[in-house]
Amino acid sequence: MNKSSAQGSEDPILQWVTFRLDNESYGINVMQVQEVLRYTEIAPVPGAPSYVLGIINLRGNVVTVIDTRQRFGLAPVEVSDNTRIVIIEADKQVVGILVDSVAEVVYLRQSEVETAPNVGNEESAKFIQGVCNKNGELLILVELDKMMTEEEWSELESI
Amino acid sequence: MNLPVNISVRPQLALQSYLDALLQEATEQVLPEPVEQPQPEPEQHQAAALDEFQAAVLEEQARDAAVATVAKALSSVAPIEAPAIVAPAVTQAEPPRAERVEHKPAAIERVEAVVDVHLPAANHGVPPRLTGDGRPAWAAEPFECLLFDVAGLTLAVPLVCLGSIYSLQGHELTPLFGQPEWFLGILPSQGGNLKVLDTARWVMPDRYRDDFQQGLQYVISVQGYEWGLAVHQVSRSLRLDPNEIKWRTQRGQRPWLAGTVIEHMCALLDVAELAELIASGAVKQMQSVKPAAKHKK
Repeated sequence: MNKSSAQGSEDPILQWVTFRLDNESYGINVMQVQEVLRYTEIAPVPGAPSYVLGIINLRGNVVTVIDTRQRFGLAPVEVSDNTRIVIIEADKQVVGILVDSVAEVVYLRQSEVETAPNVGNEESAKFIQGVCNKNGELLILVELDKMMTEEEWSELESI
Repeated sequence: MNLPVNISVRPQLALQSYLDALLQEATEQVLPEPVEQPQPEPEQHQAAALDEFQAAVLEEQARDAAVATVAKALSSVAPIEAPAIVAPAVTQAEPPRAERVEHKPAAIERVEAVVDVHLPAANHGVPPRLTGDGRPAWAAEPFECLLFDVAGLTLAVPLVCLGSIYSLQGHELTPLFGQPEWFLGILPSQGGNLKVLDTARWVMPDRYRDDFQQGLQYVISVQGYEWGLAVHQVSRSLRLDPNEIKWRTQRGQRPWLAGTVIEHMCALLDVAELAELIASGAVKQMQSVKPAAKHKK
């Protein structure tokens, strides 16, 4: 697990950027987040996989945006004022993930993170790193590198 | 506010079918000929109900036979070693510029136990498993049971296997994506994050209806495990004598079903076996998956 602070201690404190999808809170490692953008027009890419919404122009660089809802098995919703594109670095690639809103950065002790139930066969279950209670809410921690299979990451690279 | 869903459309039929399936399974080696069911009233609706009942029993038997065949086939397959997962190296990244938005999530308090039902046993923690004759160790002498209802079916669970009862009133379960259909979500409780399973989907998978998920009132935690059973009603406790229970000698197909209690028309669950089955990961081969869906109370 990546440790973003207090690495020397036995119970390191980790920082997580939290976002919301379908009224649930998710957390991703702060070290993998490059920036958070307001929603901007996403240009669809013909022939792209279903989990790719399209591409955006980020200061001259083309960034692929992933349909996070589809990836998490959730129904699509309309874009709102709170919709954000989180630019992340995962599997040595820079991609964007579309989320309903971005909330805050939270600090979690390693010991606070509980493992998620290991009962699912579904690929998507593998990128739940753990769960944690924070501010009276259950936070689902996502392991971004596992959000795609190796083949899918390669596929993304070629877009 | 929750109102119990009307799940009493065919409770008696469900119960009869279920109990009959269990009894058939328990006695099939003793009785070579099937025992005919009494038909008290020759009215048309009774006949239709009986047809449905017999169809349900046949369906149950067919399912059991299929599971047994698959289990036998699986037992002959050599285990495959899981590939090692290498964590990717962490690369440097810019400091985050996460924005704060005005969203204020509703605080979810950890649910408090309505009652702790666990009876102190000789050794605390996970109750002992099955004894040599197929009976659970807790059934060596008369034991206390809790009766509860799930989708019109009355189930009994020995208190020694139970932890606490949590009310779902005013609380909601947090679903996780990519989980099997029988996983309803996580309930933050005083005892930690309780993983809640859809009891009806376990005990009556072939007659399951989606509306069974409505009106769930309580979660009963399993002693020694982080799993709980979602139920519609908790009724009462009673003391059972092991001799009044029709024990299942073959637990292979549904190890969590200990037997049936004819006098009280209920099935006796061995929830410790169920929790162990889940905790061991053995259930992975018997499930289908659905997208995460919010289960609000």
